[in-house]
Amino acid sequence: MENALNKQAVSDDLMILNMGPQHPSTHGVIRFVITGDGEVMQRAVPHVGYLHRGIEKLAEGLPYPSFVPFTDRVDYLAAMFANHGYAMAVERLLGIEVPRRAEYLRVIVSELNRIASHLIGVGAMAMDIGAFTPFLHGIREREKLNDIIEELCGARLTYNYIRVGGVSFDFPQGLDAKIRAFLDTFEPLMEEFDRLITVNEILVKRCANVAVIDAETAKSYGLVGPNLRGSGVDWDLRRDLPYSAYPDFEFNVCLGRGFRGTLGDAYDRFIVRVQEMQESVKIIRQALDGLPEGEIKGKLPRKLKPAKGEAYGAVESARGELGYHVISDGTDKPYRVKIRAGSFNATSIVEHASRGLMIADLVVLIASLDVIAPEIDR
Amino acid sequence: MGSVSTYFENVKNAAVTIFEGMAVTLSWMFRRPITIQYPDRTPEPVKDTLPDRFRGILEVHIPACTACSACARACPIDVILVETQKHPSGKGRLLMRFDIDISKCMYCGLCTEACPTGCLRHTPVFEATGRDIHNLVVHFVDGPVVPYKHKKGRPVPASPPPGDIVQALLKPWDAEYVAWSPGEFVERDAGGGDGEKGAASPGKVEGGATGSGSG
Ligand code: SF4
Ligand code: SF4
Repeated sequence: MENALNKQAVSDDLMILNMGPQHPSTHGVIRFVITGDGEVMQRAVPHVGYLHRGIEKLAEGLPYPSFVPFTDRVDYLAAMFANHGYAMAVERLLGIEVPRRAEYLRVIVSELNRIASHLIGVGAMAMDIGAFTPFLHGIREREKLNDIIEELCGARLTYNYIRVGGVSFDFPQGLDAKIRAFLDTFEPLMEEFDRLITVNEILVKRCANVAVIDAETAKSYGLVGPNLRGSGVDWDLRRDLPYSAYPDFEFNVCLGRGFRGTLGDAYDRFIVRVQEMQESVKIIRQALDGLPEGEIKGKLPRKLKPAKGEAYGAVESARGELGYHVISDGTDKPYRVKIRAGSFNATSIVEHASRGLMIADLVVLIASLDVIAPEIDR
Repeated sequence: MGSVSTYFENVKNAAVTIFEGMAVTLSWMFRRPITIQYPDRTPEPVKDTLPDRFRGILEVHIPACTACSACARACPIDVILVETQKHPSGKGRLLMRFDIDISKCMYCGLCTEACPTGCLRHTPVFEATGRDIHNLVVHFVDGPVVPYKHKKGRPVPASPPPGDIVQALLKPWDAEYVAWSPGEFVERDAGGGDGEKGAASPGKVEGGATGSGSG
């Protein structure tokens, strides 16, 4: 990657500004080198790699099931999806069937996790723009979700819950009722959250028409998830490449519609996340109602030794398609694991989307993309 | 004048929506606060409020440990060290060392799932600190012990409430680091250990690092 700091000629009157890597609104350790003409950016070049831990490489030295706790660290705000994608890829590789109950449990925890992640996403976006209170409201609700998931699997962030072949724990006594109680209180609180910030004129003015990404550009940069849907592209893996138990549920795919400005602006991406939380609530209710009885873990051989071959498993994570490409060479350790994460592509569009933006709007752009550093670098 | 009316429209909208947001914020002043002052003013110890499945610091109940090393093999990052040796009598084995490095553990739970007797478990203990990081390596055996032998139909030795074992072994935060050295062999009447009654002449433990040979 070229280094804008070194390369820029000093003579053309452009200002070079460094933002990050330790900057509160870069959502982790990402660095942006901004070339600006006064307040207007010519471009902001993201420099990634500060959080690279070589997770993909680690996979090559570990037996298949032992890699699951490492996938938690791919996306620590939505670790269920990271578990799920890997488990799915390995299951496809092995050709094993997952019990229905396990699939339902997976959907429930994933959607709970999506709510938790989006709460941080929208809360942090509001905070970056200058409204601190909504973030605390988001954190408060997320804390309840953490408690629920902690009761289920014993951990609050790095769950290691969705395993190859199923899930690790069944619902403990009374958790079903607890989740329902949470959903009942969450819905009115969501309305309150909307009154608190979503309709707030200052937020709207700050986000509407800012950092517009049109559908074509979004697709060409490989944006996924809420960022893609915010640009009006109707694509959701849960519906379009159905996996797990999602075909059993009814839900809407939320799209940006230029709610208060142009289609694909920062406000659209914000709204898409807010609406997706409501859809998740619907899915969880349906899954709890239809939760089948039965096993939670499929029949697995003691040692997982898939035949030579490769498989790809992708889930619609809170940040879009999170895919694992696992190649087996016939031993009990993967030959290669490649992780495809939405945040990486979302970061790559920053250089394009920041052209002509005010410097102050860069945080709006970054926050609206809801990128998370560990997922960029892995 | 369109722009003038838009201007005032904006001002009005901003005022109304801010007022609405402030009303929400204000309403929270009259609801029960959810903030808890940690650690010294919690209504009850946090440890007691944790769910059963909480994955805290690991502990092992040695009288029920078969020294099978399944946990050590299951751990992806080599946190657990289980050392065994041949029993001096030539029959069976001795558990020489059982260390868990709690500063390295990522609390994933794979080891506890692998343990056949359930003697390795997560506890509700989650607070541990040390000026010297080596002090966070918890040594669960002092000296060589005869591992537990499971027999069908016999219950696994009862263990104290979760957390007690490891809490007693955690050092104070400012303790000096002292390298671990294995103690002496003590005959123990634990669970299935009686299978080798009298076999353990406490004399010499082959390769025992202390080399001391008293009983
Ligand atoms: S909890 Fe995980 S990291 Fe910790 S000792 Fe067990 S297997 Fe290893
Ligand atoms: S703690 Fe459990 S798994 Fe580990 S050596 Fe003892 S019996 Fe085996």
